[in-house]
Amino acid sequence: MSNEDSRDDFERRRARALAMGGEDKLARRCAAGLLDARARIDRLADAGSFIEVGLFGTSSVVPEDRDSTPADGKVSGFARVDGREVAVVSNDFTVKGASSSLTNMKKIGHVKRVATERGMPIVFFGESSGARMPDNMGARGMGALLGNDPTQYVRRRETPWASAVLGPCYGSSAWYTCLSDFAVMRKGAVIAVASAQLASLAIGQSVDPQELGGWELHAQHTGLIDAFTDTDEEAVDLIRRFLSYMPSHHNEPPPRVAVPAGSDEAAHAVGELLPQNRTRVYDVRRIVNAVVDRDTLFEFKPLFGRVAVTALARLDGRTVGVIANNPLVKGGALDAHACEKITSFLVLCDSFNIPLLIFVDTPGFTIGKEGERQRAPGKIMNFMAALQMCTVPKLSVILRKSYGQAYLNMGGGRNSDEVAAWPSAEVSFMDPAFATRVVLWGRDEAAEAELFAATRERMANDSSVWELASSFAVQSVIRPADTRRYLVRMLEVHEPRRTRGIGQHQLASWPTTF
Amino acid sequence: MSRIEVTSEVTGTVFQIEKAVGDAVEEGDEILILESMKMEIPALAPAAGTVVELRVAEGEAVEEGDVVAVIEGKG
Repeated sequence: MSNEDSRDDFERRRARALAMGGEDKLARRCAAGLLDARARIDRLADAGSFIEVGLFGTSSVVPEDRDSTPADGKVSGFARVDGREVAVVSNDFTVKGASSSLTNMKKIGHVKRVATERGMPIVFFGESSGARMPDNMGARGMGALLGNDPTQYVRRRETPWASAVLGPCYGSSAWYTCLSDFAVMRKGAVIAVASAQLASLAIGQSVDPQELGGWELHAQHTGLIDAFTDTDEEAVDLIRRFLSYMPSHHNEPPPRVAVPAGSDEAAHAVGELLPQNRTRVYDVRRIVNAVVDRDTLFEFKPLFGRVAVTALARLDGRTVGVIANNPLVKGGALDAHACEKITSFLVLCDSFNIPLLIFVDTPGFTIGKEGERQRAPGKIMNFMAALQMCTVPKLSVILRKSYGQAYLNMGGGRNSDEVAAWPSAEVSFMDPAFATRVVLWGRDEAAEAELFAATRERMANDSSVWELASSFAVQSVIRPADTRRYLVRMLEVHEPRRTRGIGQHQLASWPTTF
Repeated sequence: MSRIEVTSEVTGTVFQIEKAVGDAVEEGDEILILESMKMEIPALAPAAGTVVELRVAEGEAVEEGDVVAVIEGKG
């Protein structure tokens, strides 16, 4: 072949690979408002920064598939996002449903290795039908294609992973979503072990794909996703936003940015957001929003375990992780889902050197049948162990209630590096009303009303913030209006200078979907 | 007209009933207040409409997920 012929041959092959599954399939996607695999990368990447690997990969198992598997159904490579390198795997559903086969699994393995060794996040755009057929069939298919990488699904969190679920995600697309540090789902997409069709064939269950694994299930009940959107574009934009808070890898602190103008304004009136009546509920997100840098709150799992709020945010331009009780839901009593949500968030923050701000207002852990059936004691201990093993700076602020074991889980005592309290704080083992009944067990309240009233008053006084401050169980009592200033200053004090901001990452290999 | 059930998000007791059968409500209005863990937790109208049933009385015990009221929606 002459040089000219080989150049032409190259251009023909390249054009065929870039054409993905063909004009018809791409047009149908476009008409349905979906981005294709390459358009998703374009949306993610800084203009012109994407460099592809494996463009000329194709099926290498079934000879007749060679010419119909451009890029073998998974587009892979490296790009810059806001000037920083990331690795990308974008499933191309128009090529054999982006099913996993020998070549494309090598491609994923390659970008994962490079990302881990060179220190950059990985972004997965999930949309895959699962293992390719007939490639994986039979003992020969299984033996050749599966199980070749003993670390394929090990998560050590050396670099952040983010997943967008943008179509049916079965098999590896579902697995990588569950292993990711941030997962966003476009409404209409599905995450499940296997498809509704397979459920129908294998177990005779007729189920709607959305009921099987749609966004509402995962946003409200399983907590497997952190966010959901109406469009592919919004999902990709959320991944960009997530990455903006994150370091490229575990051996550097997160990036620091300029503080948005007006960030100090809301902080002055923050105390007014707390109700006067100590039993009334309110939305803690208003308080958190007023304290952190303006418009930086990035909430995780807003519909799951709603009694807790977990969010990335910035304070004085630095990335922080926020954990807060939200009295708006169940009065802030922590349930099993909230424990799971907080534990997985602690794993994220500990793995990537993100200091924690803990806002406390909880009457305790939910008690009663429902919680016990959800293994609440185990969930509470996972959460507690995670907090104690977390080596990033931990600053907690008790806004109002902090009771019982939840006092410890929310950073009470030596479970955070600094505990501050508002004058409205009350800390005790249980509510004074219950404690009165316990210490006067068996006595008649009607006959001894004065004794009951006096006991209740004594119990309530003993719960006040001044007792805590007097015994140095809190290090500071602060005016609500000073909360932002206090946290900014304490974050400076607690900067891990000896390790240049790097924690010990003791939670980095913890699972997050236990 | 759609019937919308209002459920209790907690196990506790009915502390105070704020609306009566026949009252018009807007989305987010407090229909009644439950007490659980010594907190007052409102059960809110999930949509605008009219209260057509109140299934609990003050002081009554409720379980998480129980229907406490029914609203007939405007739509």
